[in-house]
Amino acid sequence: MSIKNTYIPYKMRIANIVEEAPQVRTYRLEFVNPDEAKQFSFKAGQFAEYGILGEGESTFCIASSPTREGYIECTFRASGRVTKALASCEQNDIITLRGPYGNTFPIEEWYGKNIVFITGGIGLPPLRCVIWNLLDHRDKFGEISIYYGARTTKDLVYKHELEEWQNRGDINLFVTVDPGGEIPEWKGHVGFVPTIVEQNAPKSENAIAIVAGPPILIKMSMPILAKNGFENKNIFTTLENRMKCGVGKCGHCTVGKTYVCKDGPVFTYEEVLTMPAEY
Amino acid sequence: MEQLQNKVAELFEKGTISLMIGFQDGMSKGAVPCFVESVEQVKLLIYNSYCKNNLAVYLHKPEVKQAKKVGIFGNVATLRSILQLLSENQFWNIELTVMTINANQEFILFESIAEVEKYVQANFPQLTDEEKELIEKINTMSRQERWEYWKDLFSTCIKCYACRAVCPMCYCPQCTVESNQPQWIKVSAQTSGNMEWHTMRAMHLAGRCINCGECGRICPVGIPVHLLTAKMNLDLSKEFGSKTGYSASNGYALNSFNPNDKEGFIR
Amino acid sequence: METKLLQSSDIPKLFDNLIKSGKVIIAPITKKSGKVFFERISSYDQVEKDYIQTQFSAKSVVFPKVEELFTYKKTDTGIEITDTLSQIPEVVVWGLRPCDSSAFDYISEFFLKENPDAYFARRKELLTLITISCPKADDACFCTSVELNPGSTAGSDILLTQMGNEYYAEIITEKGKAVVESSSDLFTATEPKTKDEFLAKITYQFSLEEIKERIKTAYDNAQWKHESMGCYGCGACAFACPTCTCFDIQDESDGDEGSRKRCWDACGLSLFTKHNSGHNPRKNQTERRRQRLMHKFKYSVENLGIVSCVGCGRCIRVCPAHLNIFENILNVTKE
Repeated sequence: MSIKNTYIPYKMRIANIVEEAPQVRTYRLEFVNPDEAKQFSFKAGQFAEYGILGEGESTFCIASSPTREGYIECTFRASGRVTKALASCEQNDIITLRGPYGNTFPIEEWYGKNIVFITGGIGLPPLRCVIWNLLDHRDKFGEISIYYGARTTKDLVYKHELEEWQNRGDINLFVTVDPGGEIPEWKGHVGFVPTIVEQNAPKSENAIAIVAGPPILIKMSMPILAKNGFENKNIFTTLENRMKCGVGKCGHCTVGKTYVCKDGPVFTYEEVLTMPAEY
Repeated sequence: MEQLQNKVAELFEKGTISLMIGFQDGMSKGAVPCFVESVEQVKLLIYNSYCKNNLAVYLHKPEVKQAKKVGIFGNVATLRSILQLLSENQFWNIELTVMTINANQEFILFESIAEVEKYVQANFPQLTDEEKELIEKINTMSRQERWEYWKDLFSTCIKCYACRAVCPMCYCPQCTVESNQPQWIKVSAQTSGNMEWHTMRAMHLAGRCINCGECGRICPVGIPVHLLTAKMNLDLSKEFGSKTGYSASNGYALNSFNPNDKEGFIR
Repeated sequence: METKLLQSSDIPKLFDNLIKSGKVIIAPITKKSGKVFFERISSYDQVEKDYIQTQFSAKSVVFPKVEELFTYKKTDTGIEITDTLSQIPEVVVWGLRPCDSSAFDYISEFFLKENPDAYFARRKELLTLITISCPKADDACFCTSVELNPGSTAGSDILLTQMGNEYYAEIITEKGKAVVESSSDLFTATEPKTKDEFLAKITYQFSLEEIKERIKTAYDNAQWKHESMGCYGCGACAFACPTCTCFDIQDESDGDEGSRKRCWDACGLSLFTKHNSGHNPRKNQTERRRQRLMHKFKYSVENLGIVSCVGCGRCIRVCPAHLNIFENILNVTKE
């Protein structure tokens, strides 16, 4: 039988750890087996099942880009049993990975267009993959605008990168914290992400919007995008549901007939509106 | 049955209840728990020998709790569950109207919980001869034989949790098995994990189970799980003189203290 | 398709041959509780000959209630992971019904069509199904309503129909032929026969075409609440069902060793869709029961082109609340 056994995971070494925010870490992972590293390929939007043997697996996106070879990165918050076990790992520890699973952002279809990112908290990791993709081929795309916020300044992730993006000069970056979340030295915006988006009224002409993050952020952002003329088929989002197998078999992630793991997690808002609200 | 339907319709019209829990016709050998929310639906309510389910478990449903004024109809087991649950301070925010049909097929609408208590105490059930026989048989086994007996049965358990789902006393919003930090009890349906589950459940029910026997009756695999708690209750009754489902103000053996208890360590 | 005759008196010999071949033989037996279950048997004496339906389906031969995906061991030199595919034995299931064998067709499509499952594939490859058509039915059976019948050959390697003292055998696949060849002295050739008079008459409950059409707009029907209120939220229906395939993946460890297992799960259980944040997309029992029925009659059709209900009636028989799937479906699709 030559069917690949998708349940046997890859072994990954933790090459680097960044403490992004309270309880949020980014791991840079390298394959223990270099042959597996060579044949592993993924595209922006895909996720993997990261695990600790004996504890279980947890689902997060691959937060790095395939344009940067030799490693993959993931960012997660330690909130449950598996993520807490992952968070207690140290450099050079081995964790498991299964993937890549899921569909991808159709980045090739966006050449020449303006891209608007709207996200908050740890909604940025799934989009960072796309952002790196765009920045590594910057000349292929039009204006890039990123609206990103968190509850407090401490909760912002990828703080160094945000600075880099700000300094590049070819990204419209709006970083905000919720009212009350700022510190005296804070030079960025203050206000909820949807509010900042509304104030800056991104143009919908020749534009794609990508919205990811807490459900409330998505819910508040959609009417604003609609007001600015964005059509639902040009708004992309990633749905997150409880996942286990990652390949459309275990049934936990279904929304109507759709398996978020297999048919998603990337959907246009137009597709989302055809689904029952079970996500 | 007509009396049941007429009386319930009256209760709806008077506004005494906004939701009625009873039975409706099911397939040939069963009756289905029925939730009536209007006078028009009252005609669905029936009562016959297939009405075995202990309906008290539905009083925990969020939709029922929201209704606030609830009528419930059941057999003695259901009444005893209601009393036991009241003694554990459940349903303090539901106005409960309780009904039953006695052995002479007479419909009874209880005016108060005290009346329910009186009725239950006058009709207090015993274990069936069959159950007594099986308990005796297991009792006379050696420890090793008993272990093998239950291990054999529990190897077939599929962890469907039907036993927990039908039990009125299993009302924890988060069951012990639903914790994974730590994973107290294995999720997979293998013998050791199955035994852990059933042993733990028997311990959590000791002194609280009213022996309706539903868990054993509905087990899809046919494991007589109700015998575990029945035996525990017999033991507790001997040790503490406790009776479950007897009164709405008892507390239960393992959560109450009487200064006259024979153990002196707490004095 | 070949047709043969097998004398009832020769069946113990056939069994002996199958057992001697080293395969695992699974057949219905009656347990202490009086209910009939599929279990591994070592002689034909143990097999129950007079039953309508088993309590649980035979799906556990291809989708076990607990399946060890792999074992692992942490050592000084690294982590060893060993998969369990090579431990899967050859299995023959005897005595399942046509609804069950048809269910194997559905779950094969489900597990193998996209992202094929290595464990399922291996088990199915090593599996032979010898189905016995139904001489009797009860009122929970409704296979004819889902366009099957008590003499259907779908999914079987051999279909046997009892006709007096002999069994009429329809040999459908190469695997079926192999069984006949290994006991060729027990099978005699025969012309094709009609089975109708030996088959149970099943009450027709609904038109599947109508249901499939009307269920497209049934999602928001307020009737779902009434049909689902009695649901206790256990997993009995899903576990007994021959087409339910949902599972959980759990790690079990003992120090430096352990295994990753997959085990049956049910969408009726309250935690099935609950996120770590506490948000539950299907937060009450009505939504969960609706999911089960919608999946059987709408989502499977949209994804795989077939309904995933075979009308075996097991969910009705095991349900502690006696909920009736075909009555529920009719009520929520009423105009």
